[in-house]
Amino acid sequence: MNIFLHELKVYRKSTIVWTLSLAAVLVLFMSMFPGLTKDAADFQKLLQGYPEPVRKAFGISLESITSLLGFYSYVFSYIVLCGCIQAMNLGVSILSKEAREKTADFLLTKPVTRSQVVSAKLLAAISSLIMTNIIFLAAAAMTTLSVSQKPFDMGTFLMISLSAFLVECMFLALGVLVAAVMSIKSVLPISLGTVFAFYILNMLGSVIGEKAVRYLTPFKYYDTAYIIRHASYEPRFIFIEALFIVIAVSASYIIYSKKDIHAV
Amino acid sequence: MNLFFREMKAARKSLILWCIGSFLMAASGMAKFEGLDSTGESLQQLVSTMPRSLQAVMGTGSLDLSTAVGYYGILFTYLLLMAAIHSLMLGAGIIAKEERGKTAEFLLSKPISRSRIMTAKLAAALVNVLIFNLVTFVFSVISVAKFAKTEDSISDLSLLMTGMFLVQLMFLAAGSGIAASGKKPKRAVSMGTALLLAAYILSIAIDLSQKLEFLQYLTPFKYFEAKRVLIDGGLDPVFILLSIGIVFILTIVAYISFNKRDIQV
Repeated sequence: MNIFLHELKVYRKSTIVWTLSLAAVLVLFMSMFPGLTKDAADFQKLLQGYPEPVRKAFGISLESITSLLGFYSYVFSYIVLCGCIQAMNLGVSILSKEAREKTADFLLTKPVTRSQVVSAKLLAAISSLIMTNIIFLAAAAMTTLSVSQKPFDMGTFLMISLSAFLVECMFLALGVLVAAVMSIKSVLPISLGTVFAFYILNMLGSVIGEKAVRYLTPFKYYDTAYIIRHASYEPRFIFIEALFIVIAVSASYIIYSKKDIHAV
Repeated sequence: MNLFFREMKAARKSLILWCIGSFLMAASGMAKFEGLDSTGESLQQLVSTMPRSLQAVMGTGSLDLSTAVGYYGILFTYLLLMAAIHSLMLGAGIIAKEERGKTAEFLLSKPISRSRIMTAKLAAALVNVLIFNLVTFVFSVISVAKFAKTEDSISDLSLLMTGMFLVQLMFLAAGSGIAASGKKPKRAVSMGTALLLAAYILSIAIDLSQKLEFLQYLTPFKYFEAKRVLIDGGLDPVFILLSIGIVFILTIVAYISFNKRDIQV
């Protein structure tokens, strides 16, 4: 319990900063929504002069992307990116902190098992993520309600917003695993490199239209277009995620318990 | 000189990883390019009449996706982001790591001045950044050459890469400036990254709303973006001067504050 509270305290400031920046980015982007709908309406008028098939092809994608939820998903992809950097960073840093800062002998000579250490740290990391997400969700709901002129489906909105937390959990698990396996000197290059690698893979996947990429990058697991259409997540990706998290976390426990940790 | 080679060696592994990343990007991104047919061209005209904010949301920008170089422009955005992250982390890390790794005492008790330490470290970082740029250039030329005449694309690509180099220099200088002047060396890389992400987000926001266009001077990602460079056929001299100025000032800041720095041992 002491470890848990201590870690929460250590990460309090960074959690607050992350939460505020995520909320700020969302407010900034969503405040552009009214301008965008105006642009879209103008463009729709211009489209009238084009032949039917073109109008159809464009009309549909325009309509979905300039609807409130469509635009929210667009903005949300950047939020997820930032959230995942936070999560991975947290995972890598929280488990490698003692080894990095050479305080391992202090922590590991306390009468707690290594598994207890991992549990407390994991719990602290998860709590930090949950707090970020709750506050972000409140900010997002308020902003979205205030910029929307038409009613929208709150359930779908919540599902989209919740998917950030699900993706973040994967990166947290990955981060903890990386910290357990490797000896880490500095956190950010690793977490940033990993998250951006997956993000770029995801962006390329959507540009080149590759189906297989979906399974490789967590960013694509909870496709917002699918959520908007079906008001649910895709079950197989929930399964893959659960499997991944269970494997990564249990591997972290086992590896960390047996790891040679240098004291000085 | 020893220090320079020491730093080159220390950064070698990560440079190789970054170059592999750049290779994967260039290769996988261009592999899927297929020239659009004639209906594609008329669609392209339609897209170009769209308001800029819609273009941004739909992910095309004003790039001409029917040409190989235009298609490469999309890829370039991500390569630029990669290059910026690489140079920022290199710049901040190379200065901050002595204090972070508790080796500052060892280094600073050697008979060389702090300015010389800084020069050697910055020179090593510069060479690393340059190598990454050249490697990316070569990979890009090869992957674009499959679809377009090499002579045409090389001039466009070398323009883009020059722009990328200037952006890299800015982030390198920013990273070392932050690391040298910041109070906590542990925070240097994270602060620099926060700055970089803010700049990146700002560049997206500017794409979405014309009202924010005056903010484009604040984010290096806007200075030499592909759509601007490819359409103008050159780098904007205002931004070239601005970026050289930024690099100059930040480097001086880095030198001065590193010289006066209280090193925590």
